[in-house]
Amino acid sequence: MDKVKKALRFLFSMQFALVILGLFVLVCIGGSVIPQGEIQAVYESAYPGWSGLILATGLDDVFHSWWFILLTLLLCGNLLGCNLLHIRPILNKMKQKTRPLPAGEDGLVFSGDPETLLKEMGFGKWEQIDRGRYAIRNKIGFWGAWLTHLGIFIIILGFALGQMFTVNYTVYGVPGEEKPIGDTGLQLSIDDFSIELRPDDTVEQYTASLTLKNPATGASWSGQASVNHPWDANGLRFYQNSTGWAADMAVYKGEELIQTDTLCAGEYRAVEGRPELLVMLRAFYPDYTQDETGMPTSASGSIVDPGYLYMLYYNGELLGMNVLRADEKITVSDYTILFSNPRSYTLIQIKRDPFTWLAGVGGAVLLGALFIAFYLRTEEIWLMEEEGHWRVYGRSRKGSLLFREKLAEKIKEGTK
Amino acid sequence: MNFLLVEKIFFYAAFGLYAAAMILFFVFFALKSQKAGKYANLLMTAAFVSHTLALVVRGIGAGRLPLTNQYEFASSFAWGICLCYLVFQWRFHFRAMGAFATPVILVIIAYAALQNKQVRELMPALRSGWLALHVSTAIISYGSFGVSCAVSAMFLLREKMSGSEFWQKNVPEGKKLDFISYRAVSLGFLFLTMVLVTGAIWAEQAWGSYWSWDPKETWALITWFIYAIYLHLRISRGWKGKSAAIFAVIGFACVVFTYIGVNTLLPGIHSYA
Repeated sequence: MDKVKKALRFLFSMQFALVILGLFVLVCIGGSVIPQGEIQAVYESAYPGWSGLILATGLDDVFHSWWFILLTLLLCGNLLGCNLLHIRPILNKMKQKTRPLPAGEDGLVFSGDPETLLKEMGFGKWEQIDRGRYAIRNKIGFWGAWLTHLGIFIIILGFALGQMFTVNYTVYGVPGEEKPIGDTGLQLSIDDFSIELRPDDTVEQYTASLTLKNPATGASWSGQASVNHPWDANGLRFYQNSTGWAADMAVYKGEELIQTDTLCAGEYRAVEGRPELLVMLRAFYPDYTQDETGMPTSASGSIVDPGYLYMLYYNGELLGMNVLRADEKITVSDYTILFSNPRSYTLIQIKRDPFTWLAGVGGAVLLGALFIAFYLRTEEIWLMEEEGHWRVYGRSRKGSLLFREKLAEKIKEGTK
Repeated sequence: MNFLLVEKIFFYAAFGLYAAAMILFFVFFALKSQKAGKYANLLMTAAFVSHTLALVVRGIGAGRLPLTNQYEFASSFAWGICLCYLVFQWRFHFRAMGAFATPVILVIIAYAALQNKQVRELMPALRSGWLALHVSTAIISYGSFGVSCAVSAMFLLREKMSGSEFWQKNVPEGKKLDFISYRAVSLGFLFLTMVLVTGAIWAEQAWGSYWSWDPKETWALITWFIYAIYLHLRISRGWKGKSAAIFAVIGFACVVFTYIGVNTLLPGIHSYA
């Protein structure tokens, strides 16, 4: 039993907290230096001979590895245990009307009016003690470290619950499209998407006008999402995440139009009735030109001279790639493919995190607690009556030097 | 009015004044000249005023707070250290601190001088009210850690100069230096926590996630952990004096890496910072 108690005491101790914090520093350095979430080939090329170890130990995904989670749990246990151990002593300190004199201190001699000194030092009330007076202020300061731990614990709890219960979806499309939102049964209609440009062609803002629909109930909500201004509807939060180019693809068989589709840059489609024939819109250049190496690029962000970089696959093999200009078309066998109507698509990120508020509460508690710990320091003063004068003792745990300097100054001023 | 030109004049005037102040601070120490120390402090104040004007003019010219690119943040970072130095100097009354603060300021402002000074419009993600709070708290935090580093360096040097009468007279005793360094770390730690909290709130609005383990976020957290260790070691192990001073210097090295090293070596979603 003693061993268990001893082990628990260690787990809840500040020494153990220091070990955990030190480990967190090392782990975070590793997680920031080693690329995270990459495929094996990336590690093989960047760390020849070490990739196996990196993948086996989870260094490729440090912040989601089992040992990082264990470390976080140990930190939580330490914070909670430390707070549990300290709650009674703090409550006792709060209840105490007087506290013993600081040991090993000589005190300062004062021969003025004690009440004036106490007031000038900021003590409005004091207690009469045996042959002297005692005063304390900023008792809330006792709670500084305790509340700091609580704040950190709440943040971690909010973050962990968020990781467990957050649902994230993405929907992308061009204005006029309506798409399902994952498995929610809801539909998102992209009513409009605009890119506000400045005179120098840089982007001022991206704004998507959206309508959320619930086909089951017929309910709908409309609103706008722009960068830094997410839209909240039906418990979901919609973010204007990113954008890119899209274009309409038309496929003709002979003279007959057999297929129309909208392709975002990077997407591909199989030709109707020919699943082995894939067309990909690899990139779009609104103001097509070539750089000094002959590579396609865009002279501006405005649609001036469109260029569609396509890739054509047949049975998984690359059949060809090129840049199509506005009046050009791809011809394969008796199929003709052309692109038109280039426009921007929007990518909307949709999220529901029921515990973001909890992490926010933790952050507020942490900030308040640190302010209490550093700036509402508990200060105590003892005035002990001696023959013809007082002997003054002062204590302030985190600001003792300043407090004593101030005390010495006031004593000097007040001594007759 | 050519705001960029006016800003440039104030900026380089501040640069020159910081350099002159540093030289005078060295003269103050080397020749034990009180006069040099007095003038160094005056130059430092003049440099701060000029630097403030440079930032104000740039802000007016750009129509926004000048806190958004490498040049602007480096300049503000140096300004923050000078502000914290002046506040701590006023609070604790010893000008010798300037001899240790000016080299730090000078290195950072020199780094700023090397950056592209062109005023650019903000990208949509940076157009947020949180920018001012997030970056200004970072400036105060980094500035406080800079002061803590300077005072800790003084502490470490003071040990070697214990026999010097000039040092005894002009540099506070080790206990007080240790205390000032601790107060600077406390202020920096509180503001660094604000940086993390305001950054998280802003990230939630802009990127849809309040924490993404982006290198900049991670290194800000590493810095937070290091100073948390410093604060705990003071309580649990009584780490004061030399050990604490060394730790404060290491902590500031981490701050500098978070600012400069991460931007250049570990790009992420904060890459514009």
